[in-house]
Amino acid sequence: MQAILDVSRGALSLLRGMGVTLRNFFRKPVTVEYPRKRAKVSKNHRNAIALIEAGNIGSHNCIACLQCEKICPSACISITGTRPDGVPFKRPDKFDLDFALCSECGLCVDVCPTNTLGYSEEYDTAGYTRADFKYDLLQPWLSREDQAIERIREAERRKKEEREAKRKAQAEARARAEAEKREQQPESAAKQDQDGERGTGI
Amino acid sequence: MPELIHVARDEDRDTYYLNMGPQHPSTHGVLRLRLLLKGEEILTAEPIVGYSHRAHEKMAENRNYIQFLPNTSRIDYLSGMIYNIGYCQAIERILELEVPERAEYIRIICCELNRISSHLLWYGTLLLDLGGFTPFLYCWDDREEILDLLDAITGSRLTYSYGRFGGVGMDVDEEFLSGVSAFCKRFRERLPEYETLVTKNIIFENRCKDVGIMDLEMAREFAVTGPMLRALGEPRDLRKDEPYGIYDKFDFEIPTRTGGDTYDRFLVRVEEIQQSLSIVEQAVSRIPDGPVMMAKPPRKIKPPEGEYYFAVESARGHFGMFIVSDGSEIPERIHLRTPSFANLASLREMLPGTMIADTIAILGSIDIVLPEIDR
Repeated sequence: MQAILDVSRGALSLLRGMGVTLRNFFRKPVTVEYPRKRAKVSKNHRNAIALIEAGNIGSHNCIACLQCEKICPSACISITGTRPDGVPFKRPDKFDLDFALCSECGLCVDVCPTNTLGYSEEYDTAGYTRADFKYDLLQPWLSREDQAIERIREAERRKKEEREAKRKAQAEARARAEAEKREQQPESAAKQDQDGERGTGI
Repeated sequence: MPELIHVARDEDRDTYYLNMGPQHPSTHGVLRLRLLLKGEEILTAEPIVGYSHRAHEKMAENRNYIQFLPNTSRIDYLSGMIYNIGYCQAIERILELEVPERAEYIRIICCELNRISSHLLWYGTLLLDLGGFTPFLYCWDDREEILDLLDAITGSRLTYSYGRFGGVGMDVDEEFLSGVSAFCKRFRERLPEYETLVTKNIIFENRCKDVGIMDLEMAREFAVTGPMLRALGEPRDLRKDEPYGIYDKFDFEIPTRTGGDTYDRFLVRVEEIQQSLSIVEQAVSRIPDGPVMMAKPPRKIKPPEGEYYFAVESARGHFGMFIVSDGSEIPERIHLRTPSFANLASLREMLPGTMIADTIAILGSIDIVLPEIDR
């Protein structure tokens, strides 16, 4: 008797299970068959890092401050930089990423002061040697480097001119005010306000 | 180990050793079980670990506190968020940093989603080991949705380094929150399907009931924690016992069972999935606006000299961090107390006397993650 009960209970549970699978059989497939179709990658997905274009100079805005190199737990970034003439900060000569060591933690992107580090779009890189994963991040920007430096210089020059013009205007205004004061109250002219107007460097 | 060698006596020729693993498919990683068998009956069992040792604790000693952040989610890659945020919470507790309310809610949502995804993976693979291929695919389908949701805000599918000292890395948008609610709704509809397919399945029941029974004394001896302990009727959960973060603001229960066999461990975890779902739903409905990062996070993390211990409830049990600081930026020592390591050791007493076919069910019910055991 017990055996019959067990068998019928078992058969029922199996049939119910089959019912579930049958219902799912007619569902839309959820698999994305990879080489032919590619899954959508979220826009925040962390991949290999890349330098991002800064709008005003037509190139990346890396200032070779080495903060990313210092914070990297895997020591996979190596940067050297020099300061070109007429540019207030360094520009990188070398920005290498050893992607084989990278753990995609994103600490370098967080720490970047000029927000020039971002993530590249590629997510399925493969290679046969470790050298295949040594990325030169400056490669896409090489052709634009001279132009970028020229633009920074020009912007710097313009800034300097503006600063000087401002300073001149201020000095003139101050002189005029002083002259006026002296005319009105000659005794209080000695009291000059000393406002330390400094140029705003980057 | 010498004791084991003595058991294999020459006069007793029916006994033999069987190495299960290190590359056995059901060990989920590289675990080697050295079984002494007599026919199909297990006489002694010895888990041998260390094949995927990556020296996380040693790595902590030559990098600063921030640089250790990516390591934490790699200790246990299935519930990396809990480990990652647990580490942040430990450092915050030491430095007495205030975390914004919104960040706390985001942390809860992410941790609980991660707990569900971890349990789903365990669910699928346990069934896969027992020969049921279909539930595995359903679990994977649902788990994938969680991974996509977490990927959208953290930028990674498994090894999140999302927590920051004093908040979280990125704010969540409306799309994420509505995605989470939609997932909760859909997943609640799926759960009865799971139940008909697996929980009520007679084959599954017969393979799991009264298999791998553990008693409370044994559990205490081996310092077993997590769902394994809760399957013995002990409602121990750090989220309730020692609420960290803002877990005390949520209404949830600690599911327990009293039998302590494989089937009970299974049921405890299934109920935990439902509890986690309810926590996620509460958090999504109450999440406040505001910043997700404290106003002035410290630039250099230098805990005062001393020894600190902080523990969180991971998907597998009690995960503790013992941090020794010498006052510098680099930790003197970080010891990680991982739950699976203690849970796995109980195999030594659970396996003898059972059949070799039950090993798979028992091993699956522990929910081991080998990288977390070896760390």
